[in-house]
Amino acid sequence: MGEVLRVENLHKSFGPNHVLKGIDLTVEKGQAVVLIGASGSGKSTLLRCVNFMEIPSDGRVWLNGEAVGRERNGKTEYREHSLIPIRTHVGMVFQHFNLFPHMTARQNVMEGPRTVLRLTRATCVKRAEKYLAKVGLSDKFDAYPAHLSGGQQQRVAIARALAMEPQLMLFDEVTSALDPELVGEVLRTLKDLASEGMTMVVVTHELGFAYSVADKVVFLHEGRIHEQGTPDEILVRPSQTRTRDFLRGHATFRLPEAQF
Amino acid sequence: MDRIWDFSSVFASRELLLVGLGNTVKLGVTCLVIGLTAGLFVGAARYSRNRLVNWPASAFVEVFRNTPALVQIMWFFFAFPIISPFNIDAFTAAALALSLNATAFCAEIYRGGIQSIERGQWDAAKAIGMSYSQQMRRIILPQAITRMVPAFMNRAVELMKMTSLASVIAFGELMHQGKAIATYNFNPIETFTVVALIFFVLIYPLALGVLRFEARLGRSQ
Repeated sequence: MGEVLRVENLHKSFGPNHVLKGIDLTVEKGQAVVLIGASGSGKSTLLRCVNFMEIPSDGRVWLNGEAVGRERNGKTEYREHSLIPIRTHVGMVFQHFNLFPHMTARQNVMEGPRTVLRLTRATCVKRAEKYLAKVGLSDKFDAYPAHLSGGQQQRVAIARALAMEPQLMLFDEVTSALDPELVGEVLRTLKDLASEGMTMVVVTHELGFAYSVADKVVFLHEGRIHEQGTPDEILVRPSQTRTRDFLRGHATFRLPEAQF
Repeated sequence: MDRIWDFSSVFASRELLLVGLGNTVKLGVTCLVIGLTAGLFVGAARYSRNRLVNWPASAFVEVFRNTPALVQIMWFFFAFPIISPFNIDAFTAAALALSLNATAFCAEIYRGGIQSIERGQWDAAKAIGMSYSQQMRRIILPQAITRMVPAFMNRAVELMKMTSLASVIAFGELMHQGKAIATYNFNPIETFTVVALIFFVLIYPLALGVLRFEARLGRSQ
């Protein structure tokens, strides 16, 4: 029980470009939160601020009740070495997989536990095989990324993040770079994780997935949270015009007939 | 053209040429090893975001890349001993000049190789909690070095050729020995033909290696 992630008044600017303009968000343990919004609305940036791939310009982030960074003269300071433990507790999966091409699937998954957590080799091998099996790739332990399909590569990337046994998983448009016929296998993996109680924040354009998996849907618009609520509230009966416009733009999105 | 080629006088001086070959290899290998090692640090320094670190490294690289190696060798032999407390022999001067030259070029190869690795690789390594040095050691360098190998081999080829410049400060490498033999026996045509052949036999396998490696790299990607 309890909240895994709390974000308060989060701002992020890149030079003159003000991308996040005061985000407040909480994620409870076991929740799957889906972020939707047009490109450029700040979804990915928000995700990258949560594991400090980007350093927020202002605002605070709490993970498991602990504030990240140190308060000093009204500014929050983030030291690189203090962010490393944060990243080991927060897994991230990217749009372009970013597997390490010089390593096999097993080595990719072992790398974090071995190099960062410094577990024994045997433990790491066991862990790698366990998580690869979990994403349905027991037959690909020794395959190099170049010999895997996009969907398989992305599942290896998911296993790589899971092998750190994180408390929170972040998924950044993980199906956007995939051929349409490969999207399903990755979404199924995500769905399984959600049903097992993994806490996750998912940025996606797959509204059908959002509808069936999310505990909470958050609609971002121009760096602010425009509307949030249950999938039903946001995707079926949005109260805001902007949300409705956004949903209408997703012509491929069909709700099950029974919902109407 | 009724010239008769007579290699017997060159053959008689083979001991001198062998000494020269030894010195050429010694100078070339010394400079390559130093260049490859120091180049990594200078390259990393150039890549650094700290201006106090990257500015001197950049200045160093630009100076050595944009002045002739011959001038560098002359400078280290004639000018450097005057402004420093050291007495320098020909080998040290040549080794110093060519090592620093190689360092500058290798630094650029390292930097270019590292920059050629996609941003996503850094992201992925960082996201599983790796420190900067772990990201570099485990993820970036192993990939970058494969891409750098042809460039390093080219550098080795260039460096082996540049060692002949050390003849101007009377370091007894192959070219200098050849000059001595030619002057003594009045046989420059034969002597320099042999010197050229020895250089070719020494360097061609390296050049061949570059081609082979590039072909292999091309196939694996």
